[in-house]
Amino acid sequence: MSERMYENIQENIRKNPGGRPEKNTGENRREGSDLLLAVRNLSVAFPGGKREATVVDTISFSLRTGEVLGIVGESGSGKSMTALALMGLLKKGAVRSADAILFDGKDLNRVSAEEYRDIRGRSMAMIFQEPMTSLNPVYTVGNQVEEMLKLHAHLSKEERKQKTIQAFEEAGIRDSAEVWGKYPHQLSGGQRQRVMIAMAMICEPKLLIADEPTTALDVTIQARILALIKKLNREHGTAVILISHDLGVIRNICDRTLVMYQGKIVERGSIEEIFSNPKENYTRTLLDAVPGIHKRDDAKAAGAYGTAAAEYRDILVSVRDLTVAYKGNKEGLFGRRRVTEAVSHIDFDIYKGEILGLVGESGCGKSTTAKAIAGLIDSYTGTITPDNRKPQMVFQDPYGSLNPCKTIGWILEEPLKMQGMKRAVDRVAKAKELLAEVGLPVEYAARYPRDLSGGQRQRVAIAAALITGPQLLILDEPVSALDVTVQAQILDLLQRIRRQHNLTYLFISHDMNVIYQICDRVCVMTQGTIVETAAPRELIANPKHEYTRQLLASVPE
Amino acid sequence: MKYLVKKLITLIITLLLVSCAAFIAFQVIPGDSVTLALGTDFTEEAAEQMREELGLNRSIPARFADWMAGAVRGDFGTSSQYKQPVSQLIADRLPVTIWLAVLSMLMITVISVPLGILAAKSSGGILDRMITLITQITMAIPPFFLGIILTLVCGILLSWFTPGKYVAPDKDFSAFLHYMIFPAMAVSIPKIAMVVKFLRGSVLRQLSLDYVRTARSKGNKESAVLVRHVLKNALIPVVTFLAMVTADVLAGSIIIEQVFNLPGLGRLLVVSISNRDFAVVQAIILYIAFVVVLINFLVDLLYRWLDPRVE
Amino acid sequence: MRQKRNDFNYRVGKVIVCAVVLFVLIGCVYTPYDPNGMNGALKNAAPSLAHPFGTDNFGRDVLSRVMKGAGTTFFVGLCTVAIGGIIGTLLGAVTGYYGGLFDEILMRLNDGLTSFPSILLALVFVSILGPGKYNIILALGIIFIPSFARVVRSEYITQKQMDYVKNAKLMGASDFRIMFVHILPNTRPILLSSLTIGFNNAVLAEAGMSYLSLGVQPPDASLGRMLSEAQAYLFSAPWVALAPGILIVLTVLGFSMVNEDAG
Repeated sequence: MSERMYENIQENIRKNPGGRPEKNTGENRREGSDLLLAVRNLSVAFPGGKREATVVDTISFSLRTGEVLGIVGESGSGKSMTALALMGLLKKGAVRSADAILFDGKDLNRVSAEEYRDIRGRSMAMIFQEPMTSLNPVYTVGNQVEEMLKLHAHLSKEERKQKTIQAFEEAGIRDSAEVWGKYPHQLSGGQRQRVMIAMAMICEPKLLIADEPTTALDVTIQARILALIKKLNREHGTAVILISHDLGVIRNICDRTLVMYQGKIVERGSIEEIFSNPKENYTRTLLDAVPGIHKRDDAKAAGAYGTAAAEYRDILVSVRDLTVAYKGNKEGLFGRRRVTEAVSHIDFDIYKGEILGLVGESGCGKSTTAKAIAGLIDSYTGTITPDNRKPQMVFQDPYGSLNPCKTIGWILEEPLKMQGMKRAVDRVAKAKELLAEVGLPVEYAARYPRDLSGGQRQRVAIAAALITGPQLLILDEPVSALDVTVQAQILDLLQRIRRQHNLTYLFISHDMNVIYQICDRVCVMTQGTIVETAAPRELIANPKHEYTRQLLASVPE
Repeated sequence: MKYLVKKLITLIITLLLVSCAAFIAFQVIPGDSVTLALGTDFTEEAAEQMREELGLNRSIPARFADWMAGAVRGDFGTSSQYKQPVSQLIADRLPVTIWLAVLSMLMITVISVPLGILAAKSSGGILDRMITLITQITMAIPPFFLGIILTLVCGILLSWFTPGKYVAPDKDFSAFLHYMIFPAMAVSIPKIAMVVKFLRGSVLRQLSLDYVRTARSKGNKESAVLVRHVLKNALIPVVTFLAMVTADVLAGSIIIEQVFNLPGLGRLLVVSISNRDFAVVQAIILYIAFVVVLINFLVDLLYRWLDPRVE
Repeated sequence: MRQKRNDFNYRVGKVIVCAVVLFVLIGCVYTPYDPNGMNGALKNAAPSLAHPFGTDNFGRDVLSRVMKGAGTTFFVGLCTVAIGGIIGTLLGAVTGYYGGLFDEILMRLNDGLTSFPSILLALVFVSILGPGKYNIILALGIIFIPSFARVVRSEYITQKQMDYVKNAKLMGASDFRIMFVHILPNTRPILLSSLTIGFNNAVLAEAGMSYLSLGVQPPDASLGRMLSEAQAYLFSAPWVALAPGILIVLTVLGFSMVNEDAG
């Protein structure tokens, strides 16, 4: 396919040297003639040194004017490198090679540094994953967006400001005149990403590259940012390359998608093709690994693990009127501390043997609730009974939850020392037993956390939590930091262990998909309160609270 | 504005505390200072008379109040060594020390900022390696040894100046400046190395941040990325660092004045410590402490002005 | 533990440090001449085979004096770092881990103290305590406490928020155990680095104080003291000044090169 397009665009250039294709709208999609970008045999490598690596391996693809192309793959698949290579923004030490990168009538392999600079920003713009760090902290956002106009347009100061404010408005920023004079740290994550989009779009580029634009944002905001990108694509005919690890995001707004794995494109096709009839094994695992509400048949979800709460009758932990307040920083020398309630008057029970989900966006108080139940927070009001519950926790970040200075063996033996197991031989035997149980080779006892992958570390964290034989395990976003394929494995492990040890889980996540897959009951939390509690199936079929509906609507289909 | 008032109040409290500390420190001296000052001339009557003269036979709070009241008026009592008012002794020697500090700071800022940026810009290259190597070596040289080397090389071997032949500024100003260049070099060279290293690190840290990629993706030239985007961010920590350097320069000049035989505050301080002339020591320590506190105060304001993130 | 260990800086630094330490250790048990033995016939003699670094104005062998003097300087440096390091680490660990009012007061004090140059504080101490080797150790040791406390404290503040500390709490480890068994090993890289920097600063401070005749007193030789004595004869016998000066430079350079790479 790319062969023919490549020929076509060369033809085009010959016929119309230097000419720009006329502005196109999204509907206009004739084959070939409106080709915007054709990449042939692009590679990115880090040569020299001990770790020579090819991160992008001879890939070819093309893009039409006004098209939205997704590039999907797990971390390290080379998708971001592809984007940076197109922009000519690779770091020192990375080498780009390609037979041709034809963009808008020019071969990016042959343009001078100066011409490339002019293309960047004017006809090809990019937005990044982290809107906080991607903006310069010491200039106002208005200033930074205006810089685009300074570089690529001849406008007076007044005109520039006017146009910047317009761009803000178009990017859906309210009070755009006021936001103009603000610094990045004064804006929310969603606002910052909107500023980035306004900046990228202000010169009306032909191509917008969005590298994981919603990954750092809360789910409800994610959906709005994606809608904005789609809207700009339709209205201005800007082609978009959307890079994501999340098939849901890709499915939401892309026309076509490439699937990348280890630097290569393993599959390509329209969204319908990829989702209904994936050809490659890797794509299939990727699709299977996505814990999907809409994909999974109800029988499996509810039949296998989830059952009505009625089955569990014994209350293990009972939380009544729990409030946790944080004291803010004192304002100056004589100021008062501001008190904010992270959790405010919540009640719920955890039944013996169930998996209770706690879902909500970041900052809704779910982690604080977990810490209070675990006993890591003393300054709460209300009651949590019984007092002798002694749960263990598994945390989100498997890098931080294992002491980096100690071996896996030491980490697993430490709780046994606390319990008074005197003989070292017994402790070692027990540690090995647990390693085997979580599916790790016993030799790993001698290794350090840094020698393990994220999934393996999380297995160790689970083993360490089990070793004291708790009844309740609190899982605080246990799979959020992991790649989707690893996520599925860890969730399976958790299910198995629960059955074997008769455990009860309090499972905290921001991800409705994961919650749906594993929980028996779900509490939906927002702004420190629980707004709804129901079985996951019921919740989806019949959400009672407005916030639950919002949360469900924001899950990418 | 509210911030400024708060800062000013903090400043005054700090200055009071520093004065208090400077006063109390010299009350815990083992042995009687009068006995020490009199030395071989010691007789009961002479000691009693001296205590009377110096007001040492009154309570500590009363003496502190007196001392503070004097200090505010610029009166720090009389030197037991020179039999002169302390304020007069300090006023005579202050210009030399101030000139030394000013010249040194000038050299430091003018030389180290461009060098630091240059090193960061050519990071990994020959130029960067050379700058790094030189800074590493110069940082290891104690300033007074550097002073001795300068005396040996520039003074004795090259005869660019006559070692020990200090000329007072009111006699011949250009000759004074000529002589002062060398002690200023001895003070500033190790500090230049420190600032270059710090700035290089700061620029490199900034260059690795995401916003630099954004700036490039807009189509900025590499030089514009460096000057417009990186430099302001990179200089923010350097400003705080320079405050520390200024304090170090003051301290360094105490020793360097000894090496180059300059009649400045540092020399007076060292001589007075040897002679246990506590009125002078106390006054000079207080003076330097005040300067350090004031510099920190000013840098705080500058920092706030540079960095919008500070609330 | 770190991959960069084979770096050029680290290797050169290690060679220099080993050489200097060896030199000092030999000086503790053997010197070619009596460091204080005068020889009227050989005043300010230029370096020769018999006296590789020459002799000073009393005819004392400079090499022997440098060996002995470096020993004194190292002794002062090590004692200083030991005092500052141990007390500073304890204070930093407790204040960083527990926080609270005690922490706040101590840190305010700390901020104030560290904004003053250490040589100035040392001068204040010496003018109160009087000069001498042990007074210098005491003075520098106390002066170095805040900088260690600050580094360790900030490390503890970061570490105590890590999930592995929460895990340790959940499994029932005592605060003492968490502070010194779980967290302390994690501060090792930063602690080692500040110990090296501290030692360098102590060497420089001792040399400076002794140069001003306020540090180590005769008949003890110390590198700073030798420099101040040599300055008067800089014209006729520059070697007397160069030998101790270069040794100081090598010591500080060596340790900073090793540290550069580790940190």
